[in-house]
Amino acid sequence: MSPRGDGPAAGPVGDTQPSHDSALRRSLRRIAAEPLVHFLIIGAVLFAGLSLAKSLERPVVRIDAQDLNQLAAYWELQMQRPPNKAELAGIINERIDEELLAREALRLGLDKGDMIIRRRLAQKMSFATDDVAAAREPTEAELRAFYARTASRYAAPARVSFQQVFFSGDRPNGGAAKAAAQALHRAEEGGRDAPTGDPFLFPLSYEDAPTADLLRDYGPAFVKLLETAPVGEWSGPVLSPYGWHLVRIEARRQPPAVAFEAVRDQVRDAYLADRRAASNAAFMAGLRKRYRVVVAGVPER
Amino acid sequence: MVRRGRLPVRLVAATAFVGLLASASAAPGQAARPAAKPAAAAAAPAKPAAHLPGWNPDRNAYFGDLHVHTGLSFDAYIFNVRAMPDDAYRFAKGEPIGHAQGYSIRLAGGPLDFTAVTDHSEYMGAMREANDANRPLSKNPLVQGLFSPDPKAIGAAFAKIVTLNHAGQMPKEFSAPDVAGRAWSEVQEAARRHNDPGHFTTFVAYEYTSAPDGRNLHRNVIFRTDKVPALPYTAVVSNNPENLWKTMDAWRAKGVDVLAIPHNSNGSDGLMFEPTKRDGSPMDRAYAELRMRNEPLVEITQIKGTSEVHPSLAPNDEWANFEIMERYIGSNRQVTKFHGSYVREALKDGILMREQKGFNPFKMGFIGSSDTHNAAPGSVEERNYFSKVGRSDGTPELRASVPPDGAKTWPADTPDANHAASPYQAWGASGLAGVWAEENSREAIFQALRRKETFATSGPRIRVRFFAGYDFPDDLAKRPDLVRQAYAKGVPMGGDLKVSAGKPPKFLVWGVRDPNGGYLQRAQVVKGWIENGVAREQVFDVACSDKLPLNTKTWRCPDNGAGVNLATCEPDRFKGDVELRTVWTDPTFKPSQRAIYYVRVLENPSCRWSTWDALRNGTPPNPTLAKTLMERAWSSPIWYEPKG
Repeated sequence: MSPRGDGPAAGPVGDTQPSHDSALRRSLRRIAAEPLVHFLIIGAVLFAGLSLAKSLERPVVRIDAQDLNQLAAYWELQMQRPPNKAELAGIINERIDEELLAREALRLGLDKGDMIIRRRLAQKMSFATDDVAAAREPTEAELRAFYARTASRYAAPARVSFQQVFFSGDRPNGGAAKAAAQALHRAEEGGRDAPTGDPFLFPLSYEDAPTADLLRDYGPAFVKLLETAPVGEWSGPVLSPYGWHLVRIEARRQPPAVAFEAVRDQVRDAYLADRRAASNAAFMAGLRKRYRVVVAGVPER
Repeated sequence: MVRRGRLPVRLVAATAFVGLLASASAAPGQAARPAAKPAAAAAAPAKPAAHLPGWNPDRNAYFGDLHVHTGLSFDAYIFNVRAMPDDAYRFAKGEPIGHAQGYSIRLAGGPLDFTAVTDHSEYMGAMREANDANRPLSKNPLVQGLFSPDPKAIGAAFAKIVTLNHAGQMPKEFSAPDVAGRAWSEVQEAARRHNDPGHFTTFVAYEYTSAPDGRNLHRNVIFRTDKVPALPYTAVVSNNPENLWKTMDAWRAKGVDVLAIPHNSNGSDGLMFEPTKRDGSPMDRAYAELRMRNEPLVEITQIKGTSEVHPSLAPNDEWANFEIMERYIGSNRQVTKFHGSYVREALKDGILMREQKGFNPFKMGFIGSSDTHNAAPGSVEERNYFSKVGRSDGTPELRASVPPDGAKTWPADTPDANHAASPYQAWGASGLAGVWAEENSREAIFQALRRKETFATSGPRIRVRFFAGYDFPDDLAKRPDLVRQAYAKGVPMGGDLKVSAGKPPKFLVWGVRDPNGGYLQRAQVVKGWIENGVAREQVFDVACSDKLPLNTKTWRCPDNGAGVNLATCEPDRFKGDVELRTVWTDPTFKPSQRAIYYVRVLENPSCRWSTWDALRNGTPPNPTLAKTLMERAWSSPIWYEPKG
């Protein structure tokens, strides 16, 4: 970078000037001739120039084609027609305003200590880790082992056949319970006719019905009676969501436990859910190891 | 679940056969269903061997969902739903499945009796393939960056596809026969695998997704057996439902029986029940017959709102304002035409057309269904509601039932349900289909759908019966064999009353509570009729709870005073009835006037899903939403025709 043609050899020759200022001139000339000085001056000029240029150049806000398409699509979905030119300009302006305000906020550090922004970032991170944890398909052996540990979840419901008599809960002053008890008493005394009650919208006789369905339609107390009452006699009264019932069990049976093959898909789902929970927990545990967590008032572990 | 005769000899025979059954079933390897038919046929000839367990000549109520989307639907897949038809059927049977948000979901009210998976036929299965690197669709530029678990990105992706679809600009590859064919086979295979006659019924089905200018004309297409066309007929081919019906006629001619059920007329902006054909030409008898042959039913309630009646159309119906949605489907555009968008009005328009032109294109029975996009049939329980579009509304915060960003109170500027920012809070946990059928089989349930012996509920399993006849005994409601007599001397819901010889008809109205729900408050008959060339309507309370006296001048029950403790969602105890049962005679009946009648049964007030969400979160309910609602059931109508 050192300029040529101005070197020491180009200095004045001979003592043609008065000595008092020729010494000063000489030393100035010597300084001005130093390559280091040239370097510093030129560097300073360049630095000032670049700084000036940099202060004149502005950061870029770029709205790309994908952004534009998305904005237009949103608008169209709401209004059921494409935007016209003026509307499009309005949409774009709004987007630019939003971007500028957001950038300025970031520049001023307004994102620090903001709960909403923190939550949003945490959410985005959890989306990302969820995807990472998208689970590997379990092997047959893994599934069978898992099934063996959880087989009780897949038991088939018992089945029961029975007759019933109904006494509506809408009878005033607890009349249904009393009427049911009386009818049961008469039946136990050896009445030849089956006891009679109120009209009922449900069947009065069930055959080999799954107790799961009866639990759904009549509630737990009713099903408990069906599971425990003696076969061939009138039992009750038992309270359901509708009123009081007498029941006579005709038969009960317990189908065998459901084989692995029949519930393979369920086992797989349960297995994957299990692993997903475990992998999420492991990820969080790993994060805790990477940070030192200090909570006011809580001793550090 | 068989209702037997009361003859002692039959009881003995039955007991003997049950004994046989019990000993036989002790043998290892016995099939899960009893091999009881030969023994029963020998001992009790009144019950033919062909009947399934549970067969009942008085018919059983079965509950189901005929509107269910899985990850095969393009939108559900974008909403991050990966559950498939198989999962939907497992959910319907009461098993837990995974929600797109990561948690496990399960019906609280127990298994359903029947279900049809109805994935959108448009681009069926395409998004799953587009997200599979081994499939050519995944290389399509349209799908790059389309799939994201972030609700904002999901909204953008959905908007992109819907906009392209409306503009007819979806690339052809997304409708390729091999892509659709793979999905359609999976739909059929899942239905076949899960159909369990006597216990659980499935139907092969799909949704025809037509929406001219965004105005909703969607229909669910339900096949009677597993004999179905090679591919669905889609709205990409034609968005004019008339062409769908003609195609269905052609299928039927080849032995493929089928029916279509329109839904979300509330989002059609007057188009669903417009007074002309779709091309604007006048309706005629052939059109009405084509339509009714193919569409005997309408889905009047679902998560995206209830389409029975709009408050502006029925100023004298105090209960009309129920889960009303006034927006287009999948967008925020405001509906402006309520006439033509609601079912009660359409029924009245239909009998008016019958009177003036001799045909009725709107003679429809009712069902409700969920329209779940989570592969979760029947997930319309207020207290166990996780909404319907996967990761878009999978948390209370996303559906605006709890304050935003973990706050404990609601900001003053909380947007109401009509605001674009909060589309999911207006949705209701509503829509279940009920049918009266002899047994739980495809054949019996399809027949019930065909003859409109169906009812709809807003979610609870309220059972409702409705019969009309001229010769019911006065004490019919108290007789033990009332249903047998009602069938013998009258017509059930969905039927036609024959011409009156002068006597007014009597109506047997019977509602029974959901065993897991609230108590019933009142039963009503909604009547529409034609008087001097004008369609009119009136709502009659016909049975009051709590032994309250019915005012027969105003036809209103006194308020039973039932309330809800909003701090706990506990209802008042000792209010309301287990069942409402009465025989009602129409005091305004004129033998010369065409009329329709249907029943509406109302429950006591209970907490809306949004209030349950808030309660669990320990924050106040969203101030812009109703805190409670009155769950309800609607019977299909009975029609009265003055001349044959």
